[in-house]
Amino acid sequence: MTWDEVSVPADLPDVVDEVSYQRVVMNAATTWDYFPGHYDPAYARSQGHPTIFVNTMHIAGFIDRIATDWAGPDSRVVRRKMRILGSIYAGDSMVGRPRVIDKRAETTSAATRYLVDLEVDVCNQRGELCCPAEVTVELAPGACRR
Amino acid sequence: MSADIVYEFAFGSYQDALRMVGVRTEPRVAGTAVSADRIQHFAAMVRDGNPSYWDPDFAARVWGGLVAPPALLMGLLIPPPWMPTAQPRLAGLSLRVPLPGTTFINASNEAEFLTPVLAGDVLHVVEELVAVSPEKTTKLGVGHFVETCESFYRDDGTLVATNRNTLFRFTPGQQR
Repeated sequence: MTWDEVSVPADLPDVVDEVSYQRVVMNAATTWDYFPGHYDPAYARSQGHPTIFVNTMHIAGFIDRIATDWAGPDSRVVRRKMRILGSIYAGDSMVGRPRVIDKRAETTSAATRYLVDLEVDVCNQRGELCCPAEVTVELAPGACRR
Repeated sequence: MSADIVYEFAFGSYQDALRMVGVRTEPRVAGTAVSADRIQHFAAMVRDGNPSYWDPDFAARVWGGLVAPPALLMGLLIPPPWMPTAQPRLAGLSLRVPLPGTTFINASNEAEFLTPVLAGDVLHVVEELVAVSPEKTTKLGVGHFVETCESFYRDDGTLVATNRNTLFRFTPGQQR
């Protein structure tokens, strides 16, 4: 795929990720974010949650994975904006619904950057919108030519 | 002597919190360099097979080294959960804002990644308290939104990323 070939707007396929208890515990372990809501079900329940939930970094990683799986490994995420409206709990499915919403070439004195904006709505298995996000990927220089 | 990381909140009034707005921390340096272990542990958790995280040859050719997943940025500056030192390791600035709320949840985040962070980089962060909202009631309880801005630097002084985060510091179940 090249930047010229990117269609705007375009819906991309949904991505589904099962969030097991193991992965929520991995979430704390890999990010060193040991806030007890991420590993202690009793604490989570005491705070009004049904059980432990993933942190922002986990959801961000899911969004970034969707973006660079689509744009290719020589693209990179340069910006991401997300709002947390609801939590993703252990036992939930995380569903990413991506679509291309814009593309643009930004030229500075140093170089031209070829950018694509995606919207990614992250929902749970009940279709509840937990995290609307926008992510911008910079395509590799070689991807900007036909 | 040793100490666990401290997640205890600072408690105080909204007025106390407002007096802290504008505070910028001294640079806080990561205890360790970014490593392939942490990169790949996180990528495994997210199930991201991007060769930028896994394939040293590909990553060296395209980026100059294995890349830290952008989503791991905040985690790279979280202290380890335990250190063999007497001084407790403090969590981020946002949890040290004096407010009544007994817990928190993240509300929004906007990050910009100016240049890739690579294995071997030693990062440091400067945090600023940008704003504290008046008292708000949400479905979770009553509390305040706390907005911080973090600037992440490589050890050569290059600004590599900025991160604007808002969390909701609240007391559960309190509805007015």
